[in-house]
Amino acid sequence: MRRRTAVLTLGTATALLLTGCSTMSPDASGTVTLNMVESLTNPTRTALLKDLIADFEEQNPKIKVNLVSPPTEQADQKLQQMLQSGSGVDVLEVRDITVGPWSNNGWLYDMKKDLDGWKGWEAMTENAVNAAKDTKGRTYFVPYGFYGLSLFYRTDLIEKAGFDKPPATWEELLEQAKAIHDPSARRYGYAFRGGANANSNATAAIEAYLADDVDPANGFKLKDGRTIFAAPEAEDAIENYLKLFEQASPKSSVSWGYPEMVEAFSNGSTAFLLQDPEVIATVSESKSISKDQWGTAPLVSGPGGKTVQPLATAGWGVAKGSGHKAEAVKLVQFLSQGEASTSFTKKNSLVPILKSATSDPFYKSGPWASYVTMTEQPDKYLVVTQPRGVSWWAEWQQKADADVQKLVLGKTSPKELLAGWDAFWTEKWQQEQ
Amino acid sequence: MPVTSTTPSKTAAPAEGAASRKGGLPRGGRRKREFTTRRGLAIAAYMAPAALFVAVFTYYPMVAGGQMAFRNWKLTDLTDTSWVGLRNFADVFADPAWGTVLGNTAVWVVGSIVPQLVIGFALALWLRRRFVLRGLYQALIFFPWAISGFLIGILFRWMFNSEFGVVNDLLQKAGLIDEPVAWLADPDTAMVAVLVANVWYGVTFFAIMILAALQSIPDELYEAAALDGAGKARTLFRITIPYIRTTLALTVLLRVIWIFNFPDLIFGMTGGGPNNETHIVTTWMIKITQQGDYGRASALGLLVVAALLVFAVFFLMATREKKGARA
Repeated sequence: MRRRTAVLTLGTATALLLTGCSTMSPDASGTVTLNMVESLTNPTRTALLKDLIADFEEQNPKIKVNLVSPPTEQADQKLQQMLQSGSGVDVLEVRDITVGPWSNNGWLYDMKKDLDGWKGWEAMTENAVNAAKDTKGRTYFVPYGFYGLSLFYRTDLIEKAGFDKPPATWEELLEQAKAIHDPSARRYGYAFRGGANANSNATAAIEAYLADDVDPANGFKLKDGRTIFAAPEAEDAIENYLKLFEQASPKSSVSWGYPEMVEAFSNGSTAFLLQDPEVIATVSESKSISKDQWGTAPLVSGPGGKTVQPLATAGWGVAKGSGHKAEAVKLVQFLSQGEASTSFTKKNSLVPILKSATSDPFYKSGPWASYVTMTEQPDKYLVVTQPRGVSWWAEWQQKADADVQKLVLGKTSPKELLAGWDAFWTEKWQQEQ
Repeated sequence: MPVTSTTPSKTAAPAEGAASRKGGLPRGGRRKREFTTRRGLAIAAYMAPAALFVAVFTYYPMVAGGQMAFRNWKLTDLTDTSWVGLRNFADVFADPAWGTVLGNTAVWVVGSIVPQLVIGFALALWLRRRFVLRGLYQALIFFPWAISGFLIGILFRWMFNSEFGVVNDLLQKAGLIDEPVAWLADPDTAMVAVLVANVWYGVTFFAIMILAALQSIPDELYEAAALDGAGKARTLFRITIPYIRTTLALTVLLRVIWIFNFPDLIFGMTGGGPNNETHIVTTWMIKITQQGDYGRASALGLLVVAALLVFAVFFLMATREKKGARA
């Protein structure tokens, strides 16, 4: 009797554990349920995605989609854990910074064959088609849009300082910001990025100074194979960038990240801001500055009149462990074309992936016009792939962020900073080979 | 599985001892049943579900996490997770910023705990008196403890913002500073700012613990002291503090461990900057995790566990000795 109880207890415990570990099996009625995980989560976007998914489910009655939305800060790590376990994810948000490591670990499914001959490619811009392929031609995600820099500026402050148009180069930016900067009146020239992700704007400045010399396949490499940090122009760029901090930015911007920069511009205290288009929505809602007080201009260029668009991207991919790859690819296709794509990029303030956007009145007017200008002039605003997919990208970001802080705090010189960055990338590339 | 096989004998031993002390007959006069293999198996079977649960959900993750410390475990490339011996530990110590991080951790722990203890004690003494709306005051004072550390960090990040923050605004209006202080951007003031936030946050815990202990002191002691003509200071040092010393010691121990392990606030407020000046060991660990180097982060985690264990043992030994000497 006692033995029977013991066996029963053990059996129950084992069963409990096993049911906890098993995955859901397909529905008997033939309906497939896809688990879709997003990572750049925010409430408005989640609601929008749910709407789009509802449309998809209506068109595909045999497919149900279960959207999982972890908070942004933990999302990529959560996704990594899910992917590592090998199940539970079908469709997922893949970013240019995660695609490298994730595909390397064998977690992502190459959609190349499934998307061969897909009509959606024809409707896409060249940038989008290129971003969908890695160096070996594999398709681990289809981009849903781009984040690209443009210059947010205050029309009224520029005019007051005696300038008739926004700056077109980094040097003009320094000149105008310096003229407007007056800390005693709580007015600042430039919203400097010294905190999280400080490296991005610093490298954007360097790339602008080098423009045509940069290898289009790798934004940190020169056409002659050296790193961009080894070029003498890089030093000019960093010196100008440092002056922008010293002469035209608030002192506390040493620690500014995204929220402080955007706040500084939208509360009316700061004249210039380099940011992604998603900021358009935030600034439009500002009660401190009205619509006619601000605008956007294309990204400032280097002395040669050209610049590099440091486009960042993300998109939808399929997990290798998915048991419903065909249905998952169908959902990716749905989100990447037509009405779904247009509505997603418009409502999220993203640079669109569809060619049709250039003729869309929405993108032709107001703050969006500068993005169209940049897309239409690929000779001046060069499209260069940033090496954001390498496995050491996170390590680089943390190193470079700390170095930018050291620079503006006077603990290192532009020369030392660039020598360090040059050594870092040279060593990594050598290790890779 | 060692957990299940050793447990029966462990539980049997004290039972036997207790039985022999009482002349071989446990309470109720029933003779202790003989320990048979059959009975041992039954006990093991009853314990198995719990043991299995703990093993799967606690010990397995711990061991799995621990062994990463000795492997090349980089999330960015899991194709090669070979054993690397103590390399991850060596990497932790070899980092040029490691000295700064250790120094910051000491400042963070001591600079938080001393003001928290002093202010918390004063608050508890004050809250012990009876006055109108005491309950409301108590609730208000304990409220911060219910807020997440990360959120507090973000709130204080804005309060200490040089241009738009309320701290500079108030200081300027009070005439204490002439121009805004770049609190979080200046390496000299950033640590002060995070300490202020942490002291504000942690005072509450000391106040709660000390107040509870204070309420256990019998009033007669104070009455007797008053009759003997003891002043306030004498009462505090001769009655109050000695009476609650154990609580104080345990609270300090707990808080040292918690503050050491409390990266949330710093992470929300400065992210360890500027120039690593507010990084402590645990924020450093998060930073390494974010780089995807789980091996090195695990090595650092093991070091933290070891350091805190050693600290706890020494601290408990020291406080126990004092207690013994008093008795």
